[in-house]
Amino acid sequence: MKVIIDDKEFEAEYGEYILDVARRNGIHIPTLCHSDAVPGQGSCRLCIVEVYERGKNKVVVSCLYPITGEIKVYTNSEKIHRMRRNIIRLLAARAPGSEYIKKLKEEYGIPEETRFKVDEKEKCVLCGLCVKACEKLGSMAISTVNRGATKKVAPPFEEPPVDCIGCTSCAHVCPTGAIEVREYEGKRVIWNRTFELLKCTSCGRYFITREQYEYMKNRHGIDMKELLCDRCRQKSTAEKLVSLYKKLLVKKTLFQCYRLQKD
Amino acid sequence: MNGMVQVPRRTVLVCCGTGCLANNSMEIYKKLKDKAAELESGFPVIPVLKATGCNGLCERGPIVQVLPDDIFYCKVSVSDVDEIFERTILKGDVIERLLYLDASSGKRVRSFKESEFYKKQFKIALRNIGQIDPSCIDDYIERGGYEALKKALFEMSPEQVISEIERSGLRGRGGAGFPTGYKWRQCSKTNDFPKYVVCNGDEGDPGAFMDRSIMEGDPHSVIEGMIIGAYAVGAEKGFIYIRDEYSLAVRNVSKAIEDAYIRGYLGRDIIGSGFSLDIEVVRGGGAFVCGESTALMASIEGRVGEPRVKYIRSTEKGLWGKPTVLNNVETWANVPVIITRGVEWFSSIGTEKSKGTKVFSLVGKVKNTGLIEVPMGMTLREIIFGIGGGIAGSGKFKAVQTGGPSGGCIPEALLDLPVDFDSLSDAGSMMGSGGMIVMDDRTCMVEVARYYLKFLSEESCGKCTPCREGIRRMLEVLEDICAGEGREEDIELLLELSETVKEASLCGLGKTAPNPVLTTIKYFESEYLAHIKEKRCPAGVCKKLTSYRINADLCRGCGLCAKRCPAGAISGKQGKIYEIDQGICTVCGTCREVCRFGAVEVAGRATE
Repeated sequence: MKVIIDDKEFEAEYGEYILDVARRNGIHIPTLCHSDAVPGQGSCRLCIVEVYERGKNKVVVSCLYPITGEIKVYTNSEKIHRMRRNIIRLLAARAPGSEYIKKLKEEYGIPEETRFKVDEKEKCVLCGLCVKACEKLGSMAISTVNRGATKKVAPPFEEPPVDCIGCTSCAHVCPTGAIEVREYEGKRVIWNRTFELLKCTSCGRYFITREQYEYMKNRHGIDMKELLCDRCRQKSTAEKLVSLYKKLLVKKTLFQCYRLQKD
Repeated sequence: MNGMVQVPRRTVLVCCGTGCLANNSMEIYKKLKDKAAELESGFPVIPVLKATGCNGLCERGPIVQVLPDDIFYCKVSVSDVDEIFERTILKGDVIERLLYLDASSGKRVRSFKESEFYKKQFKIALRNIGQIDPSCIDDYIERGGYEALKKALFEMSPEQVISEIERSGLRGRGGAGFPTGYKWRQCSKTNDFPKYVVCNGDEGDPGAFMDRSIMEGDPHSVIEGMIIGAYAVGAEKGFIYIRDEYSLAVRNVSKAIEDAYIRGYLGRDIIGSGFSLDIEVVRGGGAFVCGESTALMASIEGRVGEPRVKYIRSTEKGLWGKPTVLNNVETWANVPVIITRGVEWFSSIGTEKSKGTKVFSLVGKVKNTGLIEVPMGMTLREIIFGIGGGIAGSGKFKAVQTGGPSGGCIPEALLDLPVDFDSLSDAGSMMGSGGMIVMDDRTCMVEVARYYLKFLSEESCGKCTPCREGIRRMLEVLEDICAGEGREEDIELLLELSETVKEASLCGLGKTAPNPVLTTIKYFESEYLAHIKEKRCPAGVCKKLTSYRINADLCRGCGLCAKRCPAGAISGKQGKIYEIDQGICTVCGTCREVCRFGAVEVAGRATE
């Protein structure tokens, strides 16, 4: 079906989200809480757009608004721009410590905050991606606690989380770099819990926590015969492929020779 | 004729709603019951005692009614019980001093129905409350209960039920006023099973107790409404979500469900119709946001009570991703009446676009505080000055706040506004679930806005940025203004933030949260300016912007203010003009309260 974004016509599947169509066609809409790995948050509200549908116009989040009829979308109208600036200002007042937010602030020309009280060290914008990622991977070690202005992300009772396996998915998915991970001398510290790291049997680099290894083995039945880090596993897989290909090539050549002989 | 002499009965209804219970009505009920039990047989009257739900007139509780004599006693205390029993219950005499005193005429009224508070009301959702014992299913059945269910199950098809509700024009009483029939139709059209019906009893507005009273006082009407709704849309499972603080509501609804199962109105093959429905009670943890439909559903599912975007409606994907009809307590309670009495009757009540009645909890600075039900379209003036009896105390009317914390404040100039869904939202406020708080001229409107934003900033679920951060920053600005730290550009800033919070928030909580700020700026901007520019609070509420002075022309030198001042800040001699020492004064306002000559005046911030 057809959809008009910023006065240009594009093709879209029924039920496809505005953001996906826009991105596919090179239209930039800023996002923060959107991740292809854990979609469906709709919490940061940065990706708001104006939609005209059946004579009515409304402000919606493009990451979750499904295209089901003829609509016109404006991704950066005057109203949207004004409100998005306000949202960035609010985000910046909350988490001025984040590099990503600083960049957004610059992009939208937002002056230094002088009206609100600001906590310079704060980086978290409470988008909820870390909690979603942890939930999706099955550990459910962290959650949002409290509500309203006192809401935060934390492990149960703010103690080192028992269910955490130290996989750092939460830190990876975090758009503002708010989750701290430290690694030293074969140890990894995240959420105030210290994990022992295991070495790669090939290159000797520390790369996985014991809990991660056990988790994969017990929960998913993945038993790594040899402990290989990502880089070494890629290398070893590539080597295996090359040797397989070589063998196939030899076989193919022999087969061709045989056919030639027969003919 | 069998020759038996029928002994006359006298029904005694003791209000055991939460308000009256707090004033010891249970003791009254127990004592009356004991006395009735002690009565020897062969007495010419048999007293029948019933503990009922809330009568609405909480301000005059505890309330005792005697039928069929139709005598209505207010502010009854345990010490009155003996007299009531001996004189009224046994002999039918009226005890004059306990009768209701009309605030406007100053006359005592024998029957509740003749009182100014009751006369203009029209009871549909509250039809049985105060008349029946909510724990007794027979009381409900006696007043025509479950007749609508029989009619729907045996005489109507689900399609007919939906079209009846559609034609009645019933709109959701939870706040948004969404057409109920349309919602049901959407759900019934969705071909996905199982389907659910949910009752939203998570009333959380400060000062509101409409749904609570219905659940406590007439739980079967809600259950009957839900069974009819479930039959119409094809649901086989229902949930009643009640906040856990409402312990009496939880108890009465649970008992009602149990009784309904025993009588065959719930469970498999309901009264032989082949239709089945199970209903269970879910107790909420008391988060305000869980009154939002999708957050409520998340809470029932056992997840964190956060809303989701509603681009796909709950009637398609609701509880556990299945089609769900969620209605407010009051909406459900309206359904059986519409089915029994018919569409024509129901739609003749109310205005063109808002049919039927609405329950309000009328509170604040009004003489008759309590629970009322009026036809849509009645004006605010009729409600506040008619039913409410006008402003309590010596103050003047200033504003009325409707729609709960995210409603707006309506000024005197709009008092003739007819109360319905559309006119209230046009005025910048909303119907909400029906809270109505009356404020007098000793209320500071900036402080009111600050109060509601404080509530909302704590009750926002915190999921989306505009609501969580926006409300918090707006509150910061309002706190500054109340403390005399307001800046010239603050009003502009509040308006701009309001737009973003209103438009870009995820759910209804955020979308309506700026209403208290927007309406107070719209109607009372001068108060904001006085706070910001003149550093003074005209109502004398914001302590940092207020000082009290004694007007020498008005002071009679009675010395009452000096006697009552807790800080000892007032000095002077009897017969001479008194004076307040601004250095000692704590701005508590006691002197202003006690002065009978209005000599204590409000001034701006003390200069010392």
